[in-house]
Amino acid sequence: MMLRSYRSELYKLRKRPATWVVFGVWLVLMLVFTYLFPYLSYRSGKSGADAIKLPNLLPAALPTQGLLGYAVWGGSLIVVLGALTLGSEYGWGTLKTMLSNGPGRLTVFCAQVAAMFTSLAGLVVVAFVCSALASVVIAASTGASIAGPAAFALALSMAVAWLILCMWCLFGVVLAIVIRGTALSVGLGLVWVLAVENIIRATASSVPVIAGIEKALPGVNAGSLVAALGTPAAGSGGDGVAAVVGGGQAAIVVALYLLLFGAVGALLLRRRDVL
Amino acid sequence: MIIQHLMNYAVEVRGLTVVRGGRAVVEGVDLVVPAGTLVGLLGPSGAGKTTLMRAMVGVQRISAGSVTVVGHPAGSPGARPLVGYVTQAPAVYGDLTVRENLAYFASILGVSGTRVGAAIREVSLEGRAEDRVGNLSGGEVSRVSLATALLASPPLLILDEPTVGLDPLLREDLWSLFARLAAEGTTVLVSSHAMDEARRCQRLVLLRAGRVVADEAPTALLRRTGASDLDRAFLQVVRQLEQPG
Repeated sequence: MMLRSYRSELYKLRKRPATWVVFGVWLVLMLVFTYLFPYLSYRSGKSGADAIKLPNLLPAALPTQGLLGYAVWGGSLIVVLGALTLGSEYGWGTLKTMLSNGPGRLTVFCAQVAAMFTSLAGLVVVAFVCSALASVVIAASTGASIAGPAAFALALSMAVAWLILCMWCLFGVVLAIVIRGTALSVGLGLVWVLAVENIIRATASSVPVIAGIEKALPGVNAGSLVAALGTPAAGSGGDGVAAVVGGGQAAIVVALYLLLFGAVGALLLRRRDVL
Repeated sequence: MIIQHLMNYAVEVRGLTVVRGGRAVVEGVDLVVPAGTLVGLLGPSGAGKTTLMRAMVGVQRISAGSVTVVGHPAGSPGARPLVGYVTQAPAVYGDLTVRENLAYFASILGVSGTRVGAAIREVSLEGRAEDRVGNLSGGEVSRVSLATALLASPPLLILDEPTVGLDPLLREDLWSLFARLAAEGTTVLVSSHAMDEARRCQRLVLLRAGRVVADEAPTALLRRTGASDLDRAFLQVVRQLEQPG
């Protein structure tokens, strides 16, 4: 039953235009923010501590540079995907049809989550392939080395990317289940990722209590996890990548958020009336 | 003996009470629906028709009583594949085509892909199969929703106002479909607030303020009340109940 539901959910995700729109926008923004803008900045010849260095844009730096966008803006779009996928079930009333037609509530929830995680794995692979191509183009145009990164570093980076996206996706899913709709859950998710966490980050350095809160935030831990994988890479700003906590702690906190969001979503879906 | 008893009734509701917002929207309802009958669940808006149907499907938290469908507790894993449910508001994906919607639900139900085409034909949507549901009229969307419930040919169909917004010709077609399904052994429970549709049912269950006020064949109801049509019969039943003593 679980496998059948999983296949059904994959089919639906594949057929829904919203999935492709989110993934398409995500890939374009990722390339623009992590390769195009930094490359243009490098070409402008700006010097100083925050100047973009060419090695960061080359294939060898793919595990760090390719991971830059996942913590904040990349995460925010995936929150939208999670909220859209579950929220629209309430909007169209299809959850009732699904839950009255065979699979149990937990099966439906797990199948939907598994299908989204699978599609996110695909997105990460495609994103790294695109990043690799962008870095090769940059290397070729500047006459730099096109030597690739170590396989383990690349695999670790992709695993971290997937973990972060899965966490943000479940955040969107939980919001949609709590609110039982799409629009408000998308709005609240974006406000949290792009505004609330940034405000807390900005004030944390001056208020000790807020600094403690900052270390527990999902976005901050995602950013710390990215930072832990390598030297600061060349971003276009606003990517939320900073080593606020250690890499080990960040990985644990991100994984805990993943489990927490999953458990809350499953519990609510299982226990509440389906309206 | 027990299995025989259970299988004779497609639906068995005992002492069902549903409380929502501190108010009993269904109160002490007892109802049995024999297998293979076309039953109309009738009553004005707010009578509790949808809540009763939701309880039968198992998506409604109940306060007291029990609901058994096709021999299984409502909403249990054993019951779910045996019940086709069409909600009052169409419940299909607006951004998928008719065929994609049905293919998805067929996949969930584990039924053959050939049933997709058959269900589309049963609701007369062959010409719109490749159109996005979001581009269809309200009546067409309702028919897509109905087609999802027909996919698995379940022994019990629970249809919440399936003919709302449809033109008379299409309503006639659908009622013929319901009658054919019942003749083939499917139990069809159809809610409606349109009394003119009630005459097509083999049996009527009239609900008012969350209680069953009549449960009999249309001809028996007309004979008992002496009314000339079902609208008047319903009014007479209600007035009789409201008379003091």
